[in-house]
Amino acid sequence: MDFEAVIGLEIHVELNCATKLFCDCPNRPGDEPNANTCPTCLWMPGAAPRLSQAALEKAALLCLGLGSELQPLSAFDQKVYYYPDLPKGYQLSQAHLPLSRGGSITVTNEQGEARTLRIHHIHMEEDVAKLVHELEGRQPISLVDFNRAGAPLVEIVTEPDFRTPYEAMEFLKALRTQVRYVGASECSMENGTMRVDANISVRPRGTDQMNTKVEVKNMNSVRHVGDAIAFETARQSAAVQAGETVVQHTRLWDPDKKVTLPMRAKFEGPCVPDPSVPAIELTPAWIESLRARLPEMPTAKAERLVKEHGISAEDAAFLSADTDVADYFEALTAQGVTTKMALHWTATQVLPAVRERGQEISACSVTPERLAGLLTLLARDEINANAARDVLVALFESDASAETIVNERGFRQISDTGELGALIDQVLAAEPAALADVRNGVGKAMGFLIGQVMQASQGKANPKLIKELLAKKLKTS
Amino acid sequence: MSPIYRFENPDPASALPDGPLHGMRVALQSTVSVAGWPTDADSAALTDFTALEDATVVQRLRQAGAALTGLTRASEFGFGLHGSQAGEAVRNDVADAELVLDMMGECRVAAARAGAFGLLPSVGLVSRLGLIGLIPSMERCGLLARSCDTLSTLLAALAGPDGRDLTLEEAPLPSLAPLPKDGHGVTLGVIPQALEGLPAAQAEGFRAALDRLAAAGVTVRELPLPEYNLFDLVHAIVGAVEASSCAGRYDSVRYGHRPPGAKDWNEMYLSARGAAFGTCVKSFLVQGAFFQFERYAAYENACRIRARLVAAVQQLMPQVDALALPLADRVPEGATATLAETRAPFASTLLASVTGQPALALPAAGAYGALQLVGSRLGDARLLALGGMLAALCREGK
Repeated sequence: MDFEAVIGLEIHVELNCATKLFCDCPNRPGDEPNANTCPTCLWMPGAAPRLSQAALEKAALLCLGLGSELQPLSAFDQKVYYYPDLPKGYQLSQAHLPLSRGGSITVTNEQGEARTLRIHHIHMEEDVAKLVHELEGRQPISLVDFNRAGAPLVEIVTEPDFRTPYEAMEFLKALRTQVRYVGASECSMENGTMRVDANISVRPRGTDQMNTKVEVKNMNSVRHVGDAIAFETARQSAAVQAGETVVQHTRLWDPDKKVTLPMRAKFEGPCVPDPSVPAIELTPAWIESLRARLPEMPTAKAERLVKEHGISAEDAAFLSADTDVADYFEALTAQGVTTKMALHWTATQVLPAVRERGQEISACSVTPERLAGLLTLLARDEINANAARDVLVALFESDASAETIVNERGFRQISDTGELGALIDQVLAAEPAALADVRNGVGKAMGFLIGQVMQASQGKANPKLIKELLAKKLKTS
Repeated sequence: MSPIYRFENPDPASALPDGPLHGMRVALQSTVSVAGWPTDADSAALTDFTALEDATVVQRLRQAGAALTGLTRASEFGFGLHGSQAGEAVRNDVADAELVLDMMGECRVAAARAGAFGLLPSVGLVSRLGLIGLIPSMERCGLLARSCDTLSTLLAALAGPDGRDLTLEEAPLPSLAPLPKDGHGVTLGVIPQALEGLPAAQAEGFRAALDRLAAAGVTVRELPLPEYNLFDLVHAIVGAVEASSCAGRYDSVRYGHRPPGAKDWNEMYLSARGAAFGTCVKSFLVQGAFFQFERYAAYENACRIRARLVAAVQQLMPQVDALALPLADRVPEGATATLAETRAPFASTLLASVTGQPALALPAAGAYGALQLVGSRLGDARLLALGGMLAALCREGK
């Protein structure tokens, strides 16, 4: 029998707020363990949670960015479970009345078809403490770090719309881009600011049954999510094929062995409304004022780039995947750089150079203004492409303008016909065999001669001019 | 060892030379956080827990110049009055006022028991930051004193937003209709269903008090509330579920009694929780766990009924100055009791606990039994003034 997977995702995103969700402690989980704590986030008796307005705004902005509809009334519940990372016995989460409902992201699947993957709802919750397992001598010990306890999270819960690992991975990449756009989180799966659980079941292809699902956790990259789903789909398909029943449980992805393994179930109960955090009432005016703060989102930006700059949809999607990259490109064109040159240099020169140096394109020392200076010289044929690449390196190393670097280091292209003519004569005299080949119509020989002239000029010759002069000389001689 | 106090403040004098509460001796319970004091809510689950900071009400007592005398003996988490000395510090004149956690009427019944006045303030009026109780949506910091005037002064010092308990009312309090000059012009509402099944002596004392007030010109109107008996049900289900869900905070793990011998953390959690809570509280938690995990729909129903009851009582309020309800003024002797025995004295106090309205306990006077007045939400000041006037009318009739 042929099986297909039915997959839904639950994505936890840690908001990059300055403080925690219910107290004023710094939201810096990486600090010295338990440095950022108070009676509220240690969940001491008598403590009262106070919802952070900054976290609410950021969470709401994220919902708007994903096209999810903010609810006029939402509230927190107590999600009861016992585990050492949650010593108070319940986590504040929005189980019954989430912050927003609906929304979707459209991705392109392996077959090149558009697939709209729906979001069921988005809710806020507090993060729990972090358990650190160590050895004290030979004795294994577990330590609890409360720096993360009470950190602001949103959870994006999708509909079970996904059928392949590829769709899940494309969705996560697009989601990450959009959340980064609104500035709500870095969404790094590696650093744990984005955590993904996948609910997977299988059914005979072509049916619309919904079968018992299995939850898979502990994937720390988008690639792992795809691998885990692929493994789990195959595992369940084989089990059903063999006549076994799938039991609802949770499994952990083992990235080394590339398998999912069952984990021990946590005790979990239904959620009770929390009476200590007042319900959140959002007015239409508040929502609209927030919407006005929403930046241009990736899809809209890509469409506009196609329309305004005449670039391909593919190039536009590439640029708008990172708002800083798109901004850089647009700043170059605003400086008068041609679209083609701006696109080429942003994608193939600046981005690799920035990454190589561990910098951010938005903060790198080669600003669009400085690069435009260089590209203007290139466009005017005052330097050639080889020299331009060297000048770019020099721009990263100093504060000087491209003009200054070109002048001081002699990068300026030789466009003097007399000087070039002399170099050509020299090369033709030294390479009679190649000259003969050219005369006999061997195409490669022309390129060889141009290369020799360029070498003789120490790379400074204007290649277009060499070609012209050579052609003229061959005709006349 | 003091029979009333379990902890006496060695240095009760106020640090301030004056203030609206200067010279007032106030006794607390271990359910109210005081930095450095053993505020373990009289529960083994919190043994050796020392509050890290003052509750807002304690901060305000200090700022107003009150003298904090100590912690009186309380029942576990202040739930019920068995084993509790609430009200005794005032009765024995070792304090002028007490703060008594009220989750189902503890402050009001303790006041009646001690022959004193007790106020359950409106929900949202007095900060709950630092209170250590079991039923967040019903527990409030009750005030107990020998006169309504003392309660008024105390309430004025304690009430108002603190920026930390966001369930507090931020808007200015509603302006209140002026009080009539005497009993003429005062209307009290009586819910006939509230008198069904009362102990005979209590019902008699209540009627005698109403007759006395009527003789002084007070209008007494009957206001039927057919669903009155559901207050008990709502409290038993919603209160117990809230307790079961949030008692995890009192985990017996970071502090509190922890029995030895657990093999792993899972066993340790279970054995610590099993050993720490007393029989009555444990029964209440188990009752809550039953509804939370086995009958969740019944819990949701109880929440809906609660909203309906709140609306029904709200509709009665414009017709009267206050509702008059009976009030138990004694609690059977004994330090421990079953859950049913613990809840028995609170049949008439659950209404205000469930609706969030303010309620004032007036002590018995001679042949007149103790009385409870329930006012409109946030109309606490007017309720206290009315209570003072009606108590005087009862006394004059001696």
